[in-house]
Amino acid sequence: MSLLIQTILNGLLVGGLFVTLSIGFSLSFGVLDVVDFAVGEWVMLGAFAGVASTTWLRIDPIAFLPVVFVFFAVVGWLVAPLIYRVRNSRNARPALMALAFTFGLATLARGGMLTAVGFDPRTVKIGVVQGTVTLGAVEIPTLRLAGFAFAAVATGLFMLFLYRTRTGLAVRAVAQNKEIAGLMGVDVKRTSNFVYSLYAGLTSMAGVLIGGIYSITAQDGPTYTLMAFFVVVLAGLGSVGGVLVAGLVLGVLESLVTVYVSADFTLAIVFGILFLVLVISPRGILRRGTA
Amino acid sequence: MSVLTARDVVTGYSGVEILHRVSAEARSGEVTCIFGPNGCGKSTLLKAVAGAIRTWQGEVALDGEPLTGLASHEVLRRGVALMPQGGGIFPHLTVRENLEIGAHTVRSRADREARIGEVLQENPRLADRIRIHAGSLSGGEQMMLAIARALLVRPSFVLFDEPSAGLSPKLAGEAMHRAASLAERGVGVVMVEQNIREAMRVADRIYILAAGENRFEGTPAAIESDKQLMELYLGASA
Repeated sequence: MSLLIQTILNGLLVGGLFVTLSIGFSLSFGVLDVVDFAVGEWVMLGAFAGVASTTWLRIDPIAFLPVVFVFFAVVGWLVAPLIYRVRNSRNARPALMALAFTFGLATLARGGMLTAVGFDPRTVKIGVVQGTVTLGAVEIPTLRLAGFAFAAVATGLFMLFLYRTRTGLAVRAVAQNKEIAGLMGVDVKRTSNFVYSLYAGLTSMAGVLIGGIYSITAQDGPTYTLMAFFVVVLAGLGSVGGVLVAGLVLGVLESLVTVYVSADFTLAIVFGILFLVLVISPRGILRRGTA
Repeated sequence: MSVLTARDVVTGYSGVEILHRVSAEARSGEVTCIFGPNGCGKSTLLKAVAGAIRTWQGEVALDGEPLTGLASHEVLRRGVALMPQGGGIFPHLTVRENLEIGAHTVRSRADREARIGEVLQENPRLADRIRIHAGSLSGGEQMMLAIARALLVRPSFVLFDEPSAGLSPKLAGEAMHRAASLAERGVGVVMVEQNIREAMRVADRIYILAAGENRFEGTPAAIESDKQLMELYLGASA
């Protein structure tokens, strides 16, 4: 029994990070109208930025998080106009071209990192949070607790921004209808760039903590892309509230499968469940998606 | 007095040309109506003027200042607003959020609040429903919201794409008269309408488009005296 509680708790804690890496992905999908295949690469690159901070700079990765955010937000800011341009071009099939473009970006990131650091798995050594916290019969790794705390704060701030600020309202309007948002005076292109930039920064920060909890290799990006897909599809495309639930569900599922079945079956089982959910409720678990 | 002009506008969607050199002019304080059969390019003309779609050739100008090539948010900042077909409210945002996004270009928060306050005072029915999603308003309420929202930025010209569409005859007349009454306040009103009889009563100037080209330009009286025109393009056997 205590193993079950332990497993569910571990899953919930990691699930927080899945929420963080999916929430920006979901929103940038809404705003740019492109599924960003590079989402997992932002996680991978963030994790390696965390590795770099300890090995080269000897700075604790937690203290390095703001630098990771700013750096990848700038990279996102530079990449976003390219995606926007491909997506809104007058050439044939801009949606498909944009999808191919982000797939290319992902391949470039993965190939570049494989060349630079090879296939060896690395772990982000987070020194400030080590050991475990004991709560009755269960032991919680402090790192996972810190990861969850980070996820809760980051996601909370993100939601505050979305639902309490003028720019956040503009972002939600653009996600709902670009043409009308433009007619209301919202600069759609600038809003798209801004959201992508914010998302790249947020997801990379989550990557630092994910790289601390799991080991990471340069070719792990697609795994996290699949995770983000799972969360966003389960949530219902475009539903921010659904992401909060679906991310935690994924964390628990992954944790249960790893402990009670085998880590090798994680993706198979997780996607089998997604398949069933989509057959039963195609608009996502909260039935609020746009699909 | 302000003048909004479209001269020899050519545009369309995904490579298909819809408007073939269409010209029109609207003045502040007047109601300019655009009629024509379905698919003749009325909505396309409004979208091109408002910058929602790109103008391929020709020119759009406000008091001689070119608007051609500007994005819709830039056109709005110059004082030309478009209320799209169906009102274009955001169904998943609340009534209040719809009004806030309508006032997006108003920089000062206090000013935004004051303008929204005014709107709510004029539309008590909206004030009662301020926190609910705009998508659950009735069709008439949605149109009221859309019209009120278009005015928050105090535009010098408002382009209405069928303010009466999908409404009951009573509400349709109300929506159209509300839109037309803006002209009394000095706003230039441009209206695309299917409800020709009602619209003829409020129009100062009328354009008829057919197959993406200008077919007629003149006053309501001039149209009414032309039986052939009435029958051909307006489907009215008067």
